[in-house]
Parts: sequence; structure tokens; C-alpha cells
Amino acid sequence: MDLTRLPNDKKLQLCRWYFKVGCLLLPFVWAVNAVWFFKEAFMKPPYDEQKQIKKYVVMSAAGAAAWVAVLAVWVTVFQLQRVAWGPTGDSLSFIVPLGRA
Amino acid sequence: MSDTGSESEIAEATEHTALMDGHIAEARPDREIAERIARKRKTKSDNQQSYGSVDRTESGGSGAASSSASNPPPPQPPADAQMEELELKYGARHVIKLFVPVTLCMLVVVATISSINFYSVKDVYLAYTPFHEESPYAVTKVWNALANSMILLSVIALMTVLLIVLYKKRCYKIIHGWLILSSLMLLFLFSYLYIEEALRAYNIPMDYITLVFVMWNFGGMGMIVIHWKGPLRLQQAYLIFIAALMALVFIKYLPEWTTWAVLAVISIWDLIAVLTPKGPLRILVETAQERNEPIFPALIYSSTVMYCLAATTPPPPGEPRARELRPLHPHGPFSRSQSPSQGDPTNMPCFSLICRGREGADGAGGAGDAAGFDAAWQARAGQQRRLRVDSSQPPRYTTRLERQPQPPPPQQQQQLDDEEKGVKLGLGDFIFYSVLVGKASSYGDWNTTLACFVAILIGLCLTLLLLAILKKALPALPISITFGLIFYFATRCVVKPFADALAAEQVFI
Repeated sequence: MDLTRLPNDKKLQLCRWYFKVGCLLLPFVWAVNAVWFFKEAFMKPPYDEQKQIKKYVVMSAAGAAAWVAVLAVWVTVFQLQRVAWGPTGDSLSFIVPLGRA
Repeated sequence: MSDTGSESEIAEATEHTALMDGHIAEARPDREIAERIARKRKTKSDNQQSYGSVDRTESGGSGAASSSASNPPPPQPPADAQMEELELKYGARHVIKLFVPVTLCMLVVVATISSINFYSVKDVYLAYTPFHEESPYAVTKVWNALANSMILLSVIALMTVLLIVLYKKRCYKIIHGWLILSSLMLLFLFSYLYIEEALRAYNIPMDYITLVFVMWNFGGMGMIVIHWKGPLRLQQAYLIFIAALMALVFIKYLPEWTTWAVLAVISIWDLIAVLTPKGPLRILVETAQERNEPIFPALIYSSTVMYCLAATTPPPPGEPRARELRPLHPHGPFSRSQSPSQGDPTNMPCFSLICRGREGADGAGGAGDAAGFDAAWQARAGQQRRLRVDSSQPPRYTTRLERQPQPPPPQQQQQLDDEEKGVKLGLGDFIFYSVLVGKASSYGDWNTTLACFVAILIGLCLTLLLLAILKKALPALPISITFGLIFYFATRCVVKPFADALAAEQVFI
């Protein structure tokens, strides 16, 4: 896909679509959206749809950052508390690191 | 969650199909042109001039342009040689552009093989390879390997033919379904296995919640970017990763000597499928050109360069194992189509072709580099031009054919240039290149690995050179794989013992 070839309204449509899809627990899509449309939103000379694109880009970036934070907190908590949670912790574990000899 | 996910994916897929159609429509004129050009070029070199003339016509009013174009815009003879040279130069740039993805793909495979044991341990084999080479006798092993590779080849051939038939009958839905299924399998199932083994090898703790979340994001984005729209870079990255995964699957699940036999057999098949008049891949490419459609994006990696190389894609191997893995096939821009079947391993057809590329849609990344056409200009001009071409073309076309020598209408050509410059390499080519290098590296000898790597790149260069000269779709596997095999066995059997002996005797040369 070449963004520079798309008419402005299509860009907006695409950006909005990406944002919406990102709502299905897909923060990675948000991150891609934010990076992909960053230039469109902030570096290009102003055009009609830019304001909305900007909005979606900012929301996507914020959403992705929030998810990263949530995930980081979860992983930290889980790794610190796994032993304390007993069987629950074990059943949630996918890989338990082996000890070293 | 996963349910909604799959549903949404399906929705995406449909949407995607619709989009594809649009895309196809756009591309039509180009394809025809390209095809025509290719034919003409063969007969006459005049056509090349058209590049030069194109600009003028284009800039002129569309009506005028078309009329002038249709009547023979006299080609300028002197331009030929120059054009040729220019093309070769661009070609060189494109070669380098293909080097990067091919190298990356091989790197991923080699890095994985050398850090994760799982992929080099033989325990389970694909259902397609019933003979496991367990006999101590060389003759039996050879026989097993040949039998296995013939079975695998027939599966691949069957899949390819199936694909062609579907394509001929215009069952796009089925093909897309197949491709989507394949990529789903690769993106989720095989990625899951890969992540599991990688985490285990590096001893990294992980919980299921994070895992599911990450997989969902990774796979979801992959489906969007491969089958719908997304940044070109990301699409390329996904395709490379998919090809690498597929190659790892082959390395892991094919018996030792079968792997080598398969490589040899596949490259011969590639040769036949692309170059024979009735070869399946050739039919595929020609049909696509006739219809002015891009070959399925999931199968081809496109650099958006001037020529396209489509390669063959091998079928994904199924896996007989308890885990049910079914491979899929990618696609690719870089590469081609396949489908996995359920239960059994499926195969994908292989394609190997290199064609003059034109793929407008993806071109963004490439366009910039490519040959210096101004992207913005293209964007502006593209649509109108396209429309015009459509309407005007058919008539012109005929005339021209009769007249024969006439160069394709310049506009079209230009369009071609603009939009479709790119070399395309089939994902299948990526896969088999990586299989060769990965297999070589699985014995732990870096000299051999490097030798194979260099051999493949040289082969690729030669293929691209031929592409520039012959201007038609070419198989990308035969030269590279032949070189690779020769280098591998020569290094392993001759150079390495020789180097070891020298080192042992402390002789320096």
C-alpha cells in the first residue's frame, strides 16, 4: 500500500478502519496505525481530513501505549506472584524456566 | 475472543477480496501492456523506445495521446541501446533489493537452526514422506529419498494444477479461502510452535495470558497486512517471516536425504513448470497477464521493482504428527499460493516465475526507488490514465497485433513503468533458498553455510540478469539451487577435509 497515492478521504477511511479494528484487543494494529499515519497527521500540509486522522493517530498511539503498560504490569505482577498463587499460578504458566546446574 | 477474531478475519477477507478486484481492474491495462511489451520485445527491440516516448504522450491530452499512441508513434531507434542499458542498470538495483529480503529470510532460518535445537532434531516426519531413511544401507537411503521426493513433488504438482484450474475457472473465493486458511495456519499454529521452542531454548518465563494476547496481535496484524492493506514494509516482513517458518518446517520434518533430493527435484520442476509451453506456472502467469490481474499477493514478495520474479512455492508440508500442524502457504507478494488441507498436510503449488513486474499497488516503498518515477505524479495521473487506457485499449491492441512491430502504446508502457516496477520473487523461492542454507547450517559448519549463501545469491543474480535479457517470467530456483547444491557438496566433501588437513598440518596457503 502506498499512502501517498491514496486520496485523502480514503486515507481517513483506512485510518479509521485500523483504529476500529484495534479495538478488538489488537493494540499492535493501533501501534501500526499510529506509525503509519504519523506523517500524514503531523508532517503534511493541512488538508480537510487531517484533523480527524490526527485524532485517530493520537488515540491509537495512546491506546497502544496503554496496552503496553497494562501488559508490562501484568507480566511483572505475574512473575513476582506466581509462586504465591500456588496452583493457579502454575496453571497459568506456559513456560517455567528451568534451573541451571 | 478467538471466535470474534476469526469472524472479523473472515469479514476482512471478504472486504479484501472486493478490494482486490478493484486493484485488479486498475492493473489490467498494465498487464496487457506488459505482456504485449514482452512479446514485442522478443521480436523487436523497438519497443524499448516506447519508454522514452511514453512521457510525451502521457503529458499530452489523453485523447490526443491515445490516438497518437495507437497510430504508430514512431519509435526512435537510437533509444534502443540506451534503454537496454538503463534497464540493466535498474535491474541491478533491483537485484540488490531482492538480496536484502532473501538474506534476511536465510538469516532468520540460520539463526533459528543454530540456536534452537528443536528444528534440527529428527523425530517426526511429514505424512508425505513415508520412508524414513532408517536403513544403514546407502542404496536404501537413496531409494527412500527419491521416493519421498517424488511423492512430495506429485503433491506439489497436484496442488499447482488444482490452483490453476481454480484460477482458470475464476473461483477466486476458493483460492482466497485457501490462501487465508494457509496463512492462518502459519501465522498462528506454526508461530505458536516457534515461540514455544524459542522461549524454551532461551529459558524465558511466560504465562498463557500474555502468550494468547501476543499471538492474537501478531496473527491478526499479519492477516490484515497480508490479505488486505498495510504498510509495505510490514507486509514484506510478515512474508519473510512466513517463508522462514515454512522453511523451518521443511527442515524439521523432512528426512535427511529427502531434503536434498527435494531441492533438486523442485528446481527441475520449477524449470518445467515455468518454461514449458503448457507448464502450470506459465499458464498461471499468462492467464494473470491476460486478465491484467496481479498474482495473489499472498504468494509473492514484491520489491516493487522493475522485474518480477515469482517463484515457486512449495507446498507446505503437513505434518503427520500429533500436533496437527498444517502448513499453509503463503503467499506472497513475494511469492505464491498454497493451501493447506486439513488433516493432512497440504501443499501449495509452487510457482516460480519471474516476470516483469508490475504491481502497482504495492509499489509505495519501491516506487520511490524505482526508477525514479515521481510517485506523486503517478498518483495524480494514475487514475485518469488508467481509465483512458482501458477504454482505448482493446481496439488498439488488435491493430497493433496486426501491424505487429508497433510498440505498445506508450502510455501504457509508462504506466507499467511507474506502477509496476518491481521484481517479484515467489515465496516458494524464499522458502527453498532458506531450506538449502538452513539445512547446510544444521550440520554446524559455517564454511558450508556461507558457501551456500553465496552460491544462492550468485544464482539469483544470474537469474535476474537473464530476466533482464529475456524479459519473461523465469524460474528462480534452478540456477540458485543447482549452484547451492554444488557448493554445498563440494565444500563439505572436498574443501572442508582439505582445509582441516591443512590446519592439522599447520600449512598456510
